Amino acid sequence: MARIELVGVAKRWGNTVAVEDMRTELEDREFVAILGPSGCGKSTTLFLLAGIYAPTEGEIRFDGVRVNEVEPKDRNVGIVFQSYALYPNMTVEQNIMFPLRFVSMEATEAQKQAREIAELVQIEKLLERRPGQLSGGQQQRVALARALIKKPNLLLLDEPLSNLDATLRLSMRSEIRRIQRELGVTTILVTHDQVEATTMADRIICMNDGRIEQIDTPENLYRRPNTTFVASFVGSPPINLVAGSIRESRFVAGERSFPLSGITETAEVWMGLRPELLAVADEGLPATVATIEPMGREILYGADSPLGFLRFLEAAPLPRFSFGDKVRLATVVENVLFFDGTDGGRIDGASLNEFS
Amino acid sequence: MTAAVQDWQSIARRSTRLRKINFVLLIGFLTIVSIPVLLPFFWVVVISFSARTGGVESAVLWKACSILVPAVFAYGGFHLAVKSVRRRLIAAGALIAASTAGLYLTVGDDLHLHNYRFLVNPNLVEELRGAATAGGQFPWVWVAFINSLVVAAISTLFKVTIATLSGYYLSRFAFRGRSSFLQGLLILEVFHPWMLTIPIFLVIFWIGLLNTLAGPILVLTVLDLPFFIFIMKGFFDAVPWDIEMSAMTDGATRRQAFRYVVLPQVRAGIIAISVLGFIKGWEEYVFVTALRTGNSYWVMSTYLYYVADDVMGVDYGLVAAVSVFYMAPSLLLYLFLQRHLTQLTFGGIKG
Repeated sequence: MARIELVGVAKRWGNTVAVEDMRTELEDREFVAILGPSGCGKSTTLFLLAGIYAPTEGEIRFDGVRVNEVEPKDRNVGIVFQSYALYPNMTVEQNIMFPLRFVSMEATEAQKQAREIAELVQIEKLLERRPGQLSGGQQQRVALARALIKKPNLLLLDEPLSNLDATLRLSMRSEIRRIQRELGVTTILVTHDQVEATTMADRIICMNDGRIEQIDTPENLYRRPNTTFVASFVGSPPINLVAGSIRESRFVAGERSFPLSGITETAEVWMGLRPELLAVADEGLPATVATIEPMGREILYGADSPLGFLRFLEAAPLPRFSFGDKVRLATVVENVLFFDGTDGGRIDGASLNEFS
Repeated sequence: MTAAVQDWQSIARRSTRLRKINFVLLIGFLTIVSIPVLLPFFWVVVISFSARTGGVESAVLWKACSILVPAVFAYGGFHLAVKSVRRRLIAAGALIAASTAGLYLTVGDDLHLHNYRFLVNPNLVEELRGAATAGGQFPWVWVAFINSLVVAAISTLFKVTIATLSGYYLSRFAFRGRSSFLQGLLILEVFHPWMLTIPIFLVIFWIGLLNTLAGPILVLTVLDLPFFIFIMKGFFDAVPWDIEMSAMTDGATRRQAFRYVVLPQVRAGIIAISVLGFIKGWEEYVFVTALRTGNSYWVMSTYLYYVADDVMGVDYGLVAAVSVFYMAPSLLLYLFLQRHLTQLTFGGIKG
């Protein structure tokens, strides 16, 4: 259990930049998710923390001590790989006890600990089997047990749920969280699935192109995204981004313009409208229904409007509209977000006065 | 509706019939193809147990065949007809007993172990030719046997160790010139080793290993290495990186990760190249002959050659007995480990 710090960490291979200027701190016992699209450097960050890669620049600290030069085997870090990386030549019990081979410990004590951890992840009945004889979910639990048995300073989970089927993923999500709370181990989860990140983590590090875009609680990431990237990556269905400009205290997009306050200077901006905050009303922006996607509990519509194609969500089991229906869309104006048109950064203070 | 049902049934009948015909044709084809392969071996065995000094008679062979071939076919038919393992074993036992009895009655009088006397008689030449001839030069068969064992085993040990370590390195480490090195390994396979006999002789002569077993051991090791390294690289390529990284975060050093986690997964490859390497060393003739200038050392292949040719004149019974003795170890090795050898292609394809 440890406090983890990344201070200006970078990893480059020649001219290829994998990770650049990572700065963050993890509190002891915290559960943090690294969220980002494929190739954003999240797995590289994981391997940097595990010690498999050495940083090109910057410092990694465990409990305030620089560990850049510490070998993976001495960092006391547990990893669960996406492929689980179980050792096929060993039984489940031998897999779980493998990390204890390298610390001096009596065989009986090691077996006792293995049994305890197996009970914690509920695989105590499978100890004699080989990895090939286990289902995906069971393999996952074995990998988790193996990563946890030496009471690691840091538990790293590399897309641990992506090979499981949907139902199992749901139950493993809460299961992992339960085990993490029980053991109080500092944990980093790497994922490209925002639902996984927001449901499991205390805080989320959102990454893009090797850089941190935002570090925040799941709620803030959703409500106050720092950049257009975060806004469109977090939230499902994705946010509607409308390109426009601000002129004389009005947001202008195409032939439409809306009064707004808080910003006066002329600027190119993006307006962000969450689909779930757009609703059909008596008054509002005229639009024509173009797509209908029933999602079970909700229905996702797409509509052509003067602002372009907009998605909106209705909580209803049956579609209320059909193709070509004319509707009017309204939103809670305080929740409309504005982002800088050039660097994508959020513009604070700007708020829409009217949406119609 | 009825018509459709009848159609299905006739289609099913036809495909069952076709499958049966195909099966019978396949069995027939394999049987015919295996005759020229198996018959000579069987003949050698028969000769070694039946031939008297001098000539060879094929009568014993045909008599034995006339009993064993129907027995094999009978078991084949039984095996196809009966599914229970216990009954199959009983049938096999009964057939073995019946054919043993049959063999005893028909050819029992012709069988003898006289041709195998070389196993217990340390001085065969003296017995055959009298003390004055090549005496002292021609060894007891066990000397040649142990020498062959030494050559095969030690060269295999070298081959497997070096091929495994370098295969791992080639699979895991990107270094300048790796791809040209791999291509180079393949190019080496183009040249037949016999083309190198004279330079190899000179090198072995210059380093003073001529007329010692170390010569063939080193040469055999070197000749097999390129191919074996390639095979092992293929096997290591198939072991995922994750597993190694996982072992290292679990507290293993790189060497421990290799030893405990990676090596067990290339076991099939190691067994395969061990068997191939051993058999190659066991049957080697060209280089063991080329690297000695007199009768400084004897191995099984040279022993067989001299038995067949120079020293003894032609005694087919003796030659056949030595042949059977010579091929037994490779055959046993092959029988016990063939399951692992068939996996060789998979590893090879991955490389």
